[in-house]
Amino acid sequence: MSVKKSVGYKNRQKRKDRLISLLIGVFALLWITPILWTFWTSLRPYTDIIQKGVFSRPDTLNFDNYFNAYRQMDIWQYLSNSFIVAIPAVILTLFFGSLLAFVITRYSFRFNLYLLLLFTAGNLLPVQLVYAPLFKIYIWIGDLVGNRNILYDSYIGLILIHVALQVGFATFVLSSYMKTIPKEISESAMVDGASVFRHYWNVILPLLRPPLAALSVLMTTWIYNEFFWAIVMIKSDSKRPITSALGRLQGEYVTDYNLLAAGAIMAALPTLIIFFILKRQFVSGLTIGSTKG
Amino acid sequence: MSETTNSVSRRTVLKGAALGGVGLVGAGTLLSSCGSDSSGPVTFTARTNVENELKIAQALADAYEAETGIPVTMQGSGDTNAFQDGISQYLQGTPDDAFQWMAGFRTNFRADQGLLVDLSENISALGNQIPEGFVSGATNPSDGKQYIIPTTWYPWGLHYRKSTMLELGLDPENIATWDDFMKLLEGTQKKGLIGYAMGDKGGWEAMGTFSIINVRLNGYDYHIDLLNGREKWTDQRTIDTFNQFALLIPYMNKNFLDISWDGMRDLLLAKKCGAMMMGSWWANEFKAKSQEDYDDLWIVPFPEINPAYGRDSIDAPVDGLCVASNSANSEGGAAFAQWCGSEEGMLAAQAAGDTNLYANTNLDTSDYDPFNKQKLAVIGEAKNVMNFLDRDCRNDFAGTIVGPAIQNFLRKPNDVNGIVDGMQAAWDALPALA
Repeated sequence: MSVKKSVGYKNRQKRKDRLISLLIGVFALLWITPILWTFWTSLRPYTDIIQKGVFSRPDTLNFDNYFNAYRQMDIWQYLSNSFIVAIPAVILTLFFGSLLAFVITRYSFRFNLYLLLLFTAGNLLPVQLVYAPLFKIYIWIGDLVGNRNILYDSYIGLILIHVALQVGFATFVLSSYMKTIPKEISESAMVDGASVFRHYWNVILPLLRPPLAALSVLMTTWIYNEFFWAIVMIKSDSKRPITSALGRLQGEYVTDYNLLAAGAIMAALPTLIIFFILKRQFVSGLTIGSTKG
Repeated sequence: MSETTNSVSRRTVLKGAALGGVGLVGAGTLLSSCGSDSSGPVTFTARTNVENELKIAQALADAYEAETGIPVTMQGSGDTNAFQDGISQYLQGTPDDAFQWMAGFRTNFRADQGLLVDLSENISALGNQIPEGFVSGATNPSDGKQYIIPTTWYPWGLHYRKSTMLELGLDPENIATWDDFMKLLEGTQKKGLIGYAMGDKGGWEAMGTFSIINVRLNGYDYHIDLLNGREKWTDQRTIDTFNQFALLIPYMNKNFLDISWDGMRDLLLAKKCGAMMMGSWWANEFKAKSQEDYDDLWIVPFPEINPAYGRDSIDAPVDGLCVASNSANSEGGAAFAQWCGSEEGMLAAQAAGDTNLYANTNLDTSDYDPFNKQKLAVIGEAKNVMNFLDRDCRNDFAGTIVGPAIQNFLRKPNDVNGIVDGMQAAWDALPALA
């Protein structure tokens, strides 16, 4: 009797597992289909689609679209623009975020929680709402110093926007992680006479390595993928990031979607490479701060 | 010439400063732009990011430099939609001297704000090189001046395949009357095809049909007045236009809200429809399929409805160059823009491979192919040039109100009264233009 029961249980468990695997499979398929379809499209020439329709058997499959997209996109210039913006932005965000988190979690004063709330609440504002006033502020500051392009149409302005928008999230994640670091460490640092900055730099910061790594991966991809600010705050096309280079493959009326597909895949490659190299940090980055010590 | 342009630009600039350019533009920077002289280097934004068109723009800059010795720095605008949406910021920030732009409301609205330089003097300097309809399309109705140097345009017309007309026993080169048009629609439908292809997923495609029926039925003046709030949408004449439009619905494909303009094009490409009303910018797709298909393609003006107006109006969106009053060298920009509108500029663009329809009476068009000649003829027949509905009226009305209203009408053609009531209410609710 008891044996029978355990067999039944095992079967039930197996069935459940199979069902779950099936569901996961279906969802994985749903997610991968557009990517595979993009790849498939990128291998076909445009004339093929025009003559025979989208759902047709291809005559030719080749990498011509990739060569053309590579040539037309001027990819290296835009790619380097992306990194000129993304790298300082990520470093500054993490620096300011960790400073803030350090003060909020290691020292207790009255406005602790409100300060944290204030910084995270900034993330709730849609960027489109911030855009018009920010543009006016940038021009106004430019007029003050006599050079309108000091923030508007400049890398510095773009980096500052990213730092301002991301620092809230960084603070939030880092402070929840810091709460898991035992108070005793801080206490002994203070007993040993460490200054506030030394306490932050030599004691706490080295312990933050895992969340910093995870955050830097996340933020690099976010800032890399960002499109909005680069379009509205940068006037010179030569300063725009890779996401806008994709637009070079689009006509005003007629767009060669096969060429665009090839370009999109190439533009996505760096993020994919970063993801595969730092997969572990990426996954831990998504769960970090979800458990509070 | 530079002397007169100077005073004009100074006046415009001062006007801009008086209006405050939405209050934020520092008068100091504005006035500093007056110090420019037309022989200094010029910056120029091409409204495109396509490789081929950038090459043409660069060729223009090079040719200008070769001719005048004035260096021109060209840059692409990046994504054209983003450029279009962000034009207000572009002009209030640090714009290039000259930039490619569209005539109609998009120019006139910014001109009224003092952000663009008055180019009327440059237009008169070009004299009769510029066709009359072209100038009419580039004129700002609020002050009768031009703030854009027109360079290219394309006609909106009835496109069809000549072979289909031959099969139906119609004149393949001319569908002139409403009766012919009806024969076309019925004939193609009897053959099991779609009579009148319609794809209005984007919300703007069907505006072409609405506008042309409105001008054929009620005239150009009524149409423009209607779009600018001087006539009412609830007017019986507007209702008549919608009812005339409704006559076409039985001949349309049923999925008109699921396909866009390129879906219509594909129907014609695959010989699945009789005719379609569309701007003529995609003939190259026919060429890509085969020369035979291209030779089969034809365009005529939308047929006459009311003999009082004949076929005297056409949608032919005018593109050209504007000059920003906030720029470093607006005078140099104006001189460059004028050159682009002249015969030399157009020849330089065509030498670089530009296949757009340039309008300059000095240009030799004898080696155009028959389809392009016909496009010119279609435009040339019209006395009044419209810039298409979404360029003829304010942007916050065209896209957000007229587009969805026409979509609703196509779905429920019996509810015309409700639809025009809603449109008029929406117009009345709009804030006054700043």
